[in-house]
Amino acid sequence: MKVPVFSQKSFGVVALAAAVAFPLVVGNTFFQHIMILFFMFATMAVAWNIMGGYAGMFSFGQVAFFGIGAYTSSFLLITCHVNPWLGLIAGGLGAAIVGAAIGYPCSNLRGHYFAIATIAFGEIVRTCFNNWKMVGAAEGLSLPMLDEGLLNFMFHSSKLPYYYIILVFLLIALAVCYLVSTSKMGYYFRAIKESHDVAEVLGVNVVWYRLMAVMVSAFLSAMAGTFYAQYVLYIDPDSVLLLPISIQIVLISMLGGAGSVMGPVIGAAILIPISEITRVWLGSKGTGIDMLIYGFLITMISVYQPRGVWGLFAGAGRRAR
Amino acid sequence: MPEQLLQQIVNGLLIGFMYSLIAIGLTLIWGVMNIVNFAHGDFLMVGMFTSFWLYTLYGLDPLFSIPICTALLFVMGMLIYRFIVSKVMAGPMLAQLVVTFGVSIFISNLAVYLWTPDFRLIAKPLLSGTWNLGAVQLSIPKTVAAAGSIITSLAVFLFLKKTRTGKAILATEMDREAALLMGINTDRVNSLSFGMGAALVGIAGAFLSTYYYIYPQVGGLFGTIAFCIVALGGFGSISGAFIAGILVGLVQTLGGFFFDPAYKYAIVFMIYLVTVWIRPQGLLGW
Amino acid sequence: MRIKWVPIICLSLCAVLVLSGSLFAQQKTIRVGAVYPLTGNIASTGLDCKRGAELAVDIINGKYDLNLPLAKTEGLPNLGGAKIELVFADTKGDPRNGMSEAERLVSQEKVVAMIGAYQSSVTKTASQATERLKIPYVCSDSSSPTLTERNFKYFFRVSPHDAGFARDQFQFLKDLEKKTGQKVSTVALLYENTEFGSNVGKAAAQYAKEFGYKVVADVSYAANATDVTSEVGALIKAKPDVLMHASYITDAILFTKTFKEMNFAPKGIMTFAGYIEPAYLPAVKADGDYIIVRSTFALDLAKGKPLVAQVNELFKKKYGIDMSENAARSFAAPFVLADAINRAKSTKSEDIVRALLATNIPGDQMIYPWKGIKFDPKSHQNIYARGTLVQILNEQYATVWPFDAAAKEVVWPFPPWKTRK
Repeated sequence: MKVPVFSQKSFGVVALAAAVAFPLVVGNTFFQHIMILFFMFATMAVAWNIMGGYAGMFSFGQVAFFGIGAYTSSFLLITCHVNPWLGLIAGGLGAAIVGAAIGYPCSNLRGHYFAIATIAFGEIVRTCFNNWKMVGAAEGLSLPMLDEGLLNFMFHSSKLPYYYIILVFLLIALAVCYLVSTSKMGYYFRAIKESHDVAEVLGVNVVWYRLMAVMVSAFLSAMAGTFYAQYVLYIDPDSVLLLPISIQIVLISMLGGAGSVMGPVIGAAILIPISEITRVWLGSKGTGIDMLIYGFLITMISVYQPRGVWGLFAGAGRRAR
Repeated sequence: MPEQLLQQIVNGLLIGFMYSLIAIGLTLIWGVMNIVNFAHGDFLMVGMFTSFWLYTLYGLDPLFSIPICTALLFVMGMLIYRFIVSKVMAGPMLAQLVVTFGVSIFISNLAVYLWTPDFRLIAKPLLSGTWNLGAVQLSIPKTVAAAGSIITSLAVFLFLKKTRTGKAILATEMDREAALLMGINTDRVNSLSFGMGAALVGIAGAFLSTYYYIYPQVGGLFGTIAFCIVALGGFGSISGAFIAGILVGLVQTLGGFFFDPAYKYAIVFMIYLVTVWIRPQGLLGW
Repeated sequence: MRIKWVPIICLSLCAVLVLSGSLFAQQKTIRVGAVYPLTGNIASTGLDCKRGAELAVDIINGKYDLNLPLAKTEGLPNLGGAKIELVFADTKGDPRNGMSEAERLVSQEKVVAMIGAYQSSVTKTASQATERLKIPYVCSDSSSPTLTERNFKYFFRVSPHDAGFARDQFQFLKDLEKKTGQKVSTVALLYENTEFGSNVGKAAAQYAKEFGYKVVADVSYAANATDVTSEVGALIKAKPDVLMHASYITDAILFTKTFKEMNFAPKGIMTFAGYIEPAYLPAVKADGDYIIVRSTFALDLAKGKPLVAQVNELFKKKYGIDMSENAARSFAAPFVLADAINRAKSTKSEDIVRALLATNIPGDQMIYPWKGIKFDPKSHQNIYARGTLVQILNEQYATVWPFDAAAKEVVWPFPPWKTRK
């Protein structure tokens, strides 16, 4: 039996073509919405992967960067009428700076200690935004409805522009991830992941490279945050800073396969439609059965496919060769 | 004012002892297997529901259902270890992190499915009311729970130090390979400590159910705080978790009292971050 | 080979989903979307709202001898007896899902109007989506004042909002002082810190100033707190005459127990929302007595309004429990909407909105103690909506204010815990 040879590249080209064509074929806005969520979460998972998959820093506080991005651009838009695209850059830089500020003292934390520290970090950020009157505290921020158009990053009549914008964001994240993974930096990251101490002995500036990973990851996550704000037009601490979002990002990366460029995308492609469609089908009965299935699937995949679904493809490819 | 302060310190200690009991089970699992059990809060919920149903269906007071809770949770923990967690022990660390999330989502929603998302309370527990010690009000169920927590922690401590099985657990915690070479069946130790971790949180659940409301998502914040306590005390350190639990209870209550209650959990997390910046291995970790 | 089946199954599932959506749209019913948090943290409340809306639709579609709009006829007479069908969707309490479910219901399930959401943050995004899609949205269960401050063209609210409720509480204090001669001068504000609580806190602080009461404590807290002794400690320190508390259900239970435990008993405990959830009283039993809650509905309104008892009878028959305040609030929106669609004789958005603006339902055709339903032409808030205050007496809610609609005399001041059993 002939097994088709999958490589990350050929797979990527086919997937990209399908993604570009999808909304032109499927006009249904709900499916477009699922795809938009899929790309958004994939972008965040790819960003997580740079930190978690390559540099071995398992962050459970990724939502803080997402939230900082969303809040920065929205706040600037509402109070100073700053164009959302500039807000996007500002949000990204803001998240990177916060990431560096928190990442520096955390740079000697390892494994579980780091993971728990990120949970604490995310919760602190949420509590602060929840009580910070200047950014609307718990009421959140409602974005003004501007004229639609690419310049204003706002579209009312169709989801297509949102769809392609977030697709581009995802491609940017993937490109960054690819560059990182093939550059010298990527090798340093992996060295740090394998052994913090050995990397240090070999002369890798561990603190510096860990900070780089955090900042790149924070910037990309913040981009997704700005996108979310422009898409939903309303943000509050409970929707952009909640711990379960961080957890979902980790789940996506892990299920897809952390440490590979395409893994997180696969993970998002599986988890997001499952969670949305089970909610639509079964959630309206209110018995919790949709989440029951979701939890069961996560358990099963981590038991039987612990290296992520990407392992299936990669494994098949290796065997064929 | 001094009376108020004294009252707050007492309250902080009472909730702190509860936290300790919850965290000890977690730190045991964590230390032995190097696995973060994200379903720990849900184990707590199962414990609470168990004593609720024993009370509602058979009229058994939560105080007397503790042995049943412990046994049930012990078996549940062993089964979850045997059929789920043991399978990822050899896998990548991320799979170990994620698998318990799946279990957590599954258990809490199974509870929604079986028992609806409603809130429940033990109607007339044996323990209720308050003692008045001078100006300080002492809630009876909370005080008894705190005493239970101290006794249980002490028992666990002695078990680990004095019995053969306990020593095997400690040995595995320190160095898995060496323990294996010494002829310790580490898989059995794992399953035993997972069961024990679950059983301990079952005891906590039974005590908590005497004064706290019960619903499927009740474990959420308790679980998150327990992670902090365990990391603060140092992974795997029983005495560390015990002290850190009390510390967190005090910080939370006094922080809320003197500062702004809206920030009280943020203060707890902040204390944690500051501690691990200074001592990356936690208070009593090595 | 097995791998091949996976995409085929996925595709066919998708196809079924698309087809089923379009098939249903062919039927001769008027479809109305209803979004509620049916799973997750506040699912018990969401399910309660769902029951209220379902019963309302039963009454509209069937023949009932009740003095409610469209009850006596089957369906909507002006549209050939067309029936209303509710299409429920789960939001999980997440604003993001509010938006996407509203869009899905409109584009795929072809609903002509929307109701629901309960949580104000979710209503915000859901109604923003329907505003973009030009679909009318009638809300009777979200109480954030900001919702009707947006001046949306397609959004209408039947029930009173939190700022109004907060005003009612102070009006009650003034009325009480006048009636009994008891002096109240200080209040403490206690509120959970999501959008609902902080809005109440803000409005209450403002009205306290307006009505001349001194705020001696302003305490906010996280609704999922594991322990609230420090919050109650701060309240005891402030020694207020009256406590005003905006909470959800879990924190309401926890605070009640902590009040008792720490022996905190001001002259009055006046509360919002959480204390009137159906799960509250069964959980705290007699410890809830003498607490005053804002409400739009109470079963004892039946004294002056037989309709309330009749509706509750139907509710009890269908679900086996008494109608709660949440169910009663969600009960309103389907009637308002059906009445408007019936008068519009059309399901086109513009026609429905025009009819909604002309809505004038008299007070006796409702289960609430209001003068009627009529929308403000700009904000689309029901101008007649007002709250009542109920007090928990013998583990039951009794209407105590406005004094003219009261079923029982208010018990004031709050009896100290030690004198109670």
